Amino acid sequence: MNFLNIILPLLYILTLSIYGISFFRASTLSEKIKVYLLYITVLIHLIYLIWRTISFSHPPITNVFEILTVIAFSLAVAYLIIEIKTRIRSTGFFILVVVVIFQILSTFFIKDLINVPEVLRSNLLGFHVVSALLGFSAITISAVYGLLYLMLYHEIKSVKFGTIYQRLPNLEILEQMSFTATRFGFLFLTFAIIIGIIWLPKAFENFSYTDPKLIGTTFIWIIYAIGLIANKFAHWRGKKIIWLSITGFIISFFSMTIINMFFSGFHKFY
Amino acid sequence: MNLISIGINHRTAPIEVREKIWFSKDETIQILPKLKEKFFKECVLVSTCNRTELYGIPTNEFEDTQPIEEELTKFKNADNYVNSENFYLLHSSIAVSHLFKVVSGIDSMILGDVQILNQMKEAYLTAVQLKTVGKLTARLFDTAFHVGKRARSETLISEGAISISYAAVELASKIFSDLNNHTALIIGSGETAQLTAKHLQGKNIGKLIFTNRTREKAEDLASQMNASIVDFSNFLNELKTIDIVISSVTIPDYILTSKQVQKVMRERHNKQLFIIDIGVPRNIDPEVAKLENVFLYDIDALNNIIDRNLEKRRAEIPKVKKIIFEELEQFYNWYRSLQVNPTIQELRTQFEKIREEEVLKNINRFKVEDRELVDIITKRIVNKILHTPIVNLKNGNNSEVDDDTINKVSLIRSLFGLEKKK
Repeated sequence: MNFLNIILPLLYILTLSIYGISFFRASTLSEKIKVYLLYITVLIHLIYLIWRTISFSHPPITNVFEILTVIAFSLAVAYLIIEIKTRIRSTGFFILVVVVIFQILSTFFIKDLINVPEVLRSNLLGFHVVSALLGFSAITISAVYGLLYLMLYHEIKSVKFGTIYQRLPNLEILEQMSFTATRFGFLFLTFAIIIGIIWLPKAFENFSYTDPKLIGTTFIWIIYAIGLIANKFAHWRGKKIIWLSITGFIISFFSMTIINMFFSGFHKFY
Repeated sequence: MNLISIGINHRTAPIEVREKIWFSKDETIQILPKLKEKFFKECVLVSTCNRTELYGIPTNEFEDTQPIEEELTKFKNADNYVNSENFYLLHSSIAVSHLFKVVSGIDSMILGDVQILNQMKEAYLTAVQLKTVGKLTARLFDTAFHVGKRARSETLISEGAISISYAAVELASKIFSDLNNHTALIIGSGETAQLTAKHLQGKNIGKLIFTNRTREKAEDLASQMNASIVDFSNFLNELKTIDIVISSVTIPDYILTSKQVQKVMRERHNKQLFIIDIGVPRNIDPEVAKLENVFLYDIDALNNIIDRNLEKRRAEIPKVKKIIFEELEQFYNWYRSLQVNPTIQELRTQFEKIREEEVLKNINRFKVEDRELVDIITKRIVNKILHTPIVNLKNGNNSEVDDDTINKVSLIRSLFGLEKKK
């Protein structure tokens, strides 16, 4: 079943291509088949995750590249739900670009860990990781819709009405989608941090509040908190809020990758 | 096919002539039965602001259509305005193809015009009510409406706004998700501003407000469109609650400066503000466009949008022509099938096939010396069964497809499943 690890990025690339053709060329056939292809890909991804969990006796959340495939899966599922609920079918290409990147990184670097550190075999870890994972998926979606908002804003402002203008939903919807995703993201990140603060000092002897990962995550949390408070009380909207959301996502991404590579701390797993 | 189309359109006559020969529905109700009685077996009259066209099957083959032209012009007392050079006459497949082009919008003055399909449907329904439609024109218009629908659903011939007012509304829809939650202010009473207001109402704008330097004009428009008004001297104070501004006043100075809009944007918590300035000279300071969340467009920007959309529509013409060609081919297949001889031939072939199959299946049950006789007898049975229907069918006129022939042939084709073979 490990061949699924190779097939998955290929399937996602194929799905991404069909979504791309549908977006840029407005082809009727690709418009019809794209969502079915995504269903199939997501189903195969689910089978892959279940197989991995059974084969290695732990859910695939014990290192960064396992987490990446789970995030890719949750992004694809979240997008499917968005497409079905909102009937907005034109934004899939942009979400799937991120999915493809995450899945490729995972496919190349994932390790088949059989022996998981004892510290990672905890129920609280499950809640912590699932919350963080959902939070990260939500802020990724928020950043993608934010980016689309900026692209459309630029086209409308500069009177250059290209494919982006023709295919994307309106600015208000993109802003709303990005902001709703931010709210979910903030909520899940808050859970993840609270659980982390309760559980981590008990689980790790070398736990430190100055850990780069912890500082990074807190910093990200503060950025989103500023955004939500500014929206509520200072009526920040449009580009300002969107830029905050994109900044938050970029820092999260680097926190998950670069901090892991260059800094060592108790939070070295991801 | 003996179909003809006589008409006047924007290519053959200027507006001064076209408006003289425009038929209202009431006028159509009066003239159409007369035209049928005098000249046609079946006919439909289409009259819009850009064309008046008569489609029909003449009672007799005639070279000269002048009496029909005279009947139309006399009815409208337009003899002094319309001359025979304004009329065109199209025959047979050219007339069918022309009808398909008209209904698909590629013959319209506004390329890809969406209204023409409904106007044609109304004209056809009037003819149906007046009983001037026959089997042939019914099928012809039915196919034409199918062409119209296909052209609009399978191509982008009607996509993108190509009028200033509609371009403005389309742009607004790209900024706001539901116009029902938004308020629009119309400054001035110009025609384009009024049209834009109508389009906004068509898109369910939440609230429409008019303002004008002459208060009475604003009141007039507001009462016509069930909108409210605000004093021209006071509209700036209202801007904080307004999301869409359409301005078309003739005034030498800007009615909105960048500083004023900046203040308004603070008051409205930086919510998106969409401004269309169709005034010449411009009514709004162009610097306003640089402000965040303010979307300002002048007449040039809107014209630019229209030009691009038109270009895109023109690029769709070959696709529409392909649809027309396909439907033309199908229509002619149907038409040919109505002629008597091909139907008789198909009927004979069908019966002969059944006979051959049955003989082949059962021939071994007969002695070798009897087999030739079985073949002869079964052929004779088939010929006798077919003899009466064929004679009756041949009583129809094979060269011309009239209603009686269409009925007979259609029944035969339907009963014996000959349609399915096409």
